[in-house]
Parts: sequence; C-alpha cells; structure tokens
Amino acid sequence: MTAMSLAAAAAGYSGQAAKPSCPCCKEEAAAPFSKESIYQLDARFTDDAGRTFAIGALRGRPVVLDMFFASCGSACPITVTDMLSIQSRLPAALRARVTFVLVTFDPARDTRQVLADYRRQRLLDGQWVLLRGDDDGIRELAALLGVRYTREPDGTFSHSNVLTLLNDKGEIAYQRVGLNEGIGRICAAVAANGG
Amino acid sequence: MKPASILGYGVAWLCLGAGAICGAPQPAGASPGSSGEMVPIPEGVYTPFSRSARGDAPVRVAAFLLDVYPVTNGQYLRFVQECPKWRRSEVSRLFADSTYLQDWAGDLEPGRSAPPTSPVVHVSWFAARAYARWAGKRLPTTAEWERAAACGYSGPDGRSGPQLNRDLYAWFARPAPDVQPSVTAARANFFGVRGIHGLVWEWVEDFNAALGAGGDADSGLFCAAGSSNARDTGDYAGFMRQALRSSLKANNTTSTLGFRCARDAVPAAGRESRPAPTL
Repeated sequence: MTAMSLAAAAAGYSGQAAKPSCPCCKEEAAAPFSKESIYQLDARFTDDAGRTFAIGALRGRPVVLDMFFASCGSACPITVTDMLSIQSRLPAALRARVTFVLVTFDPARDTRQVLADYRRQRLLDGQWVLLRGDDDGIRELAALLGVRYTREPDGTFSHSNVLTLLNDKGEIAYQRVGLNEGIGRICAAVAANGG
Repeated sequence: MKPASILGYGVAWLCLGAGAICGAPQPAGASPGSSGEMVPIPEGVYTPFSRSARGDAPVRVAAFLLDVYPVTNGQYLRFVQECPKWRRSEVSRLFADSTYLQDWAGDLEPGRSAPPTSPVVHVSWFAARAYARWAGKRLPTTAEWERAAACGYSGPDGRSGPQLNRDLYAWFARPAPDVQPSVTAARANFFGVRGIHGLVWEWVEDFNAALGAGGDADSGLFCAAGSSNARDTGDYAGFMRQALRSSLKANNTTSTLGFRCARDAVPAAGRESRPAPTL
C-alpha cells in the first residue's frame, strides 16, 4: 500500500484533519481535482485496517469500484468474482497499477472486522481497498455513481448493480450496468485507461 | 463550555474555502421573505407507494422538524454569497447540470424571474444538500416528506379530504409558471407545512432509493413495472412523485424542482457537540 500512501500525500491529505472544516465550502486538496472527478466528494471513509481513507487518495491510478454489502447472497459475490477475474486477466504491468475498491452500503453491520474477514475469505490482495463510511458519504458516492439503493426492512439492501471504472483523475471512464455483460468490455476499458 | 454567542448558531463553522468566510447561517427568522421557520411533525407511519420485494411493513417515522416553506431564492442567495463554489459560474457540472440556477439573472442576482420569496428551483440534489448543511439542517427522507405531505388541510389523513386531492390534480394540470409564486401565499396543511403540494416538486435525501422491484433499478423506470407494485393504485400523486424521483440524477436541475429542509426533533448524538470554531 506504499503507492497508496504516496498518492494520499501527493493529494495533500496528510495533516488535513487539523484544519477547520466547513459543511459547504470544502477545503481543496493541494492540486484541485478536475471538474468531472468524483474525488471532489468530500466524504471520509475507513478501510478494513481501521485507517481513515479519503477517496481522493486513489488519484493517479485506474480504479475499478463496486458498492456492495458483505452479507449479500446474490449479486455482490458475483460482482466481486468478476472483479477478481478482471484483475487476473489484466497484463501484469497494468495489474500492478489498478486498484479494486469495494464500498459497503451497510456500515452498521460491515464493521472493520467484517470487512477484514471478507478480504480473507475472498482472497483479496493488497490491490484491493475495502471501505466503510457514514450514511451521508455513502449516499453521496452512490449519487455520483448513479447507484440506487434502499435498506430493506429485513436489513438487506436492494441496489442497482453498477461496476465503475475511474480513470487516474477519478472521472467515470466506464460503467458496467447489470450482471449480464461479462468482463470483456470493462477489461478493454481498463486497458484503454491504464496507460 | 461554548461561548453563548456561538450556541445560538448551532453549527457555526469557519471556512477558508476560496478566501471567503463561509460562516454560520443567521438564526431562524432573520432572513428576508420567508424564514427558516420549522414545524414539528409528530411520530407516525409512512406506507411506501410500492410494495417491497423483501418486506411489506409500513415504515415508522420518528418525530422530526420540517421547514414551513420551501427554500426561497432569497435564502438561497445568502447561501451562494457565503459559499462561492455553489455560485452558478463556479459549480462543478458533476454536482449541478448546465441549467443550475438558470432563471437567475447572475451569480449573486436572482433577478425578476426569481423573486426573493419564491421557491428556488433549478437546484440539484447536491446543491440542496449543501444548502441544508450550511443551514444546520438536512434534507427530509422520502418517508419523512411523504409523512408530512400525507395530511389534509384540516386532518391528519389527506386522502379522506377531497379538497387536497382536487387542488393537487389542479396543480398537475396547470403548466409550470414562468415565475414561481411567493411561498407566503401557500395554504398550510394540518401540520402547518405550507406549499408542500402545489408549488414545486421537492428533493428528498434518498431520492436515489432502489424501487421495490427486487433491486432491478431499470424496471423502476417503466410504468408497468412500477405500478404493478403499487399498494394503492388510486394514489396518482404518489405515483407521479415516485416516477419523478426515479427519473432524476443527483446533478439534475429543473424549472419545477426545489426543496425544503428538515432536522431531527431530538438532535442526534454529536450534532450539538461539533467543535466551536477557532476564531
């Protein structure tokens, strides 16, 4: 995760916690993100090691991102399997540059430990980032990605299945909607954006 | 511990963005035109328009506070004065599309098409949310909004009072006016909420909920799929609102879509314990 830390430092996030914050005019990172970058999202997340994670720290590399919940018994495991397939299909040089991100809809039940267990069970390596946030940040991220979701009375989540490729600026480069497309197109899109 | 002058401001945060002081909003009642006045909505039940694939129980809605009026151009002007990134020329397209504040004469000039006491329109969900945060509030959830909107003029159940539905359908039938009327003319409903029907459509926090069609969002975009799950097929207005919400993206803005803000009745843990600004 060294590259990640470097990216975080480059994005100007180190030491930002001490600055005053404002709910409307977010302080900008050292180099502003592009107007189309979802990294303008100011939400803070926490990874499965318990570290604070600003999503803008992903800048500088292609990112394959999915919103999921760990207890999902239907679509989410399939999508994660697809992401693993994408990872293994990429040429080695490119594979080393691509980050795979899972953001949970369900921070109440997907605790740091649950996410860490999920990482172990699904054999997700160091290229994977598993994140939980607060309800606000999750709803904003979903809104930016065009993901619709609802917490059902039984505690599960109904959600649209959208697998997103972000380019190195954090702009949406490609989205796979639904589960029927396979991984060919998104792999091609990763290759096209991985240069 | 906090100085008294700060207590009154709730979420007085100092902001250094773009060299501007993006301070706290004025206390309720100080703004021109309609105030940020709120009314309590008692605890109740919301029955979602659509049946859910995984649970069919009505949703309990805790007591909360809701703005009496939709947010006006006058109020929104103060927000963009203090928060430059939400001015028309500054905003990111990701957060508001190209028609954002289209009816305003300029960045800080609502102009004749957007009178100070008329509801602000051409605002995105992101913008509405940012305003709400700035005002120390939040957007209502669908359940809260529908709960507050379900009562009639004189009783807690609007469906039992035909006058409300007549007014509602008359509103649907009228073309959108070029200039929105003042919010002050709107009639209060049983809870004291004004203009929740009959002025503009309003954003809700969870507009991007998945519809009750088993998690396939696309099916929610088609009439047949949406209506086949309807609990009350006579609730045409509810259907219209659901259809609108499901068609929106978070950066969309339209000439008939505004918002109002809500707040927890009992401040959530931590909400009052935000750090006082370093002055």
